[in-house]
Amino acid sequence: MNRWNLPDLGIGIGLRTVHFPHILSQRPKIDWFEILSENFLDTGGRPLYVLDQVAERYPVALHGVSMSIGSTDPVNVAYLEKLKALAARTRAHWVSDHLCWTGVQGLNSHDLLPMPYNEESLRHTVARVKTVSEILERPLVLENPSSYVEFRSSTMTEWDFLARLAEDADCGLLLDVNNVYVSSFNHSFDPNVYIDAIPADRVVQYHLAGHTNLGTHILDTHSDRAVDEVWRLYARSWRRTGGVATLFEWDEGIPSFEVVHEEALKARAHREAPAEAVHGAA
Amino acid sequence: MAPPDLPLDRLQRWMQDVVVRDRRAKDVDQVILPSRTLTAPERLEIYHRMYPIRMREALESDYPGLRHFLGDEAFDDLVQRYVAAHPSRSYTLNRLGDHLADFIARSAGLRRGAFCAELARLEHAIAVVFDAPENPVLDGAVVAEMGEAVADLRLRPIDAFRLLQFRYPVGAYLDSVRDDDESHDHPRVALKNTWIAVFRRDYSVQRLDLEKEQYSLLEALQGGATLGEAVLATMRRSRRALAPEEFFRWFRRWTAAGIFRATDSDTLSSGL
Repeated sequence: MNRWNLPDLGIGIGLRTVHFPHILSQRPKIDWFEILSENFLDTGGRPLYVLDQVAERYPVALHGVSMSIGSTDPVNVAYLEKLKALAARTRAHWVSDHLCWTGVQGLNSHDLLPMPYNEESLRHTVARVKTVSEILERPLVLENPSSYVEFRSSTMTEWDFLARLAEDADCGLLLDVNNVYVSSFNHSFDPNVYIDAIPADRVVQYHLAGHTNLGTHILDTHSDRAVDEVWRLYARSWRRTGGVATLFEWDEGIPSFEVVHEEALKARAHREAPAEAVHGAA
Repeated sequence: MAPPDLPLDRLQRWMQDVVVRDRRAKDVDQVILPSRTLTAPERLEIYHRMYPIRMREALESDYPGLRHFLGDEAFDDLVQRYVAAHPSRSYTLNRLGDHLADFIARSAGLRRGAFCAELARLEHAIAVVFDAPENPVLDGAVVAEMGEAVADLRLRPIDAFRLLQFRYPVGAYLDSVRDDDESHDHPRVALKNTWIAVFRRDYSVQRLDLEKEQYSLLEALQGGATLGEAVLATMRRSRRALAPEEFFRWFRRWTAAGIFRATDSDTLSSGL
């Protein structure tokens, strides 16, 4: 259990537009949904109508891509106020975003751009996480990103940075196991070391997803089933954290609701994986 | 030359210049490490390549008609020039196209630029109406019971309503694209005045093709005129005689479509 006693919501999937008709008409049995915050912040139309129906029937958590927590631009208070209102409207169990920046000088690249991992960026991010948590009136939950570059100015590993950030800013972590795998391939580190270094009592949620391996590097495309190595890393981490809400993301070439849900439910088997299988992760 | 220990703010501006502003950086090796398979510039290039793809996807989803008319190559070129001039400054991509129609209208060299600008304006209205706030709609029965006092009523359109006039048949063109039939004959891109109302009903965006007089009446109401003032102004402007039955028929149709907001008691009492 995490230190805030945030609940293990079970195994869910991301709420996606293509599944709206199925969800509204079939009311499928699923533990919970993760909501992409920005898709619902400025709409009074069908998306919000569907969200209200979903939030009435299922537990939800908000997951954003535009908080830009690492940016050196000022914190966008108007955005955060809208996010807070959406969390209240949906009775979201928590609000998460990514350890990244999306733009500076008022621009937004709409990409999850990586941070350099050093003392300066840590101090900067800790201060901003505290500010955001105060505005949201709840602990912020941050996800480890997948990345394609490493900065020469980094002086610590990503997992050390995350662990210190979580401790100093008192925030939760959304451990994206696929992102750990993607970055381990792109940056040649041992993903097991990463998984083992994450403070278990800070992990509030897991992400699982598929990716695209281009040989020279892996892109985090959320376009497929998760590979075996990712499932093994999930099992390895699960043994450390115990019951933590788990969610499968599928964002490109999204198959039917049943297929995505079926993939997510594979998590059950991996939670019960024997130790030797878990430690066989490359 | 960028030193490896760039302060965070300078590092972020440097990277954003490459990714968003498409500026070539000569000092990548000073800032970014190579991997076992990629050089530092190749690694940075991954972010640089993904940016225009995201922008294109966002605009293509809101402007399918424009993409269809221009074709992939010209649409890509337009997107690239547009986002260079109007990069996203919002946390949402939903409003990325807010300046697109004006940008096209001001741009030189785009094939059938005036038509494209109008098509973009129609598709932008559809996108805006899709996300507009929901309002309670006017109950036609309430208005019917008002008798002659209805002439003093100020009817306001719902938030999810846009009134548009065009010099080209962009609505018909969009219909032909939505038929999803590549062999379909698309309307000729020739000058033809058209008037359109875009609105949302039951969370579905709909389009109403209007006559010039209908547009005039709705425009007057939207501008704050009372029903009586709007009808008189429309009759004065019209080149043909308009019978009262026509106005009744229009209002019944529009009220059934739900394009007017519910009239609150204050408006009703001032009208009475």
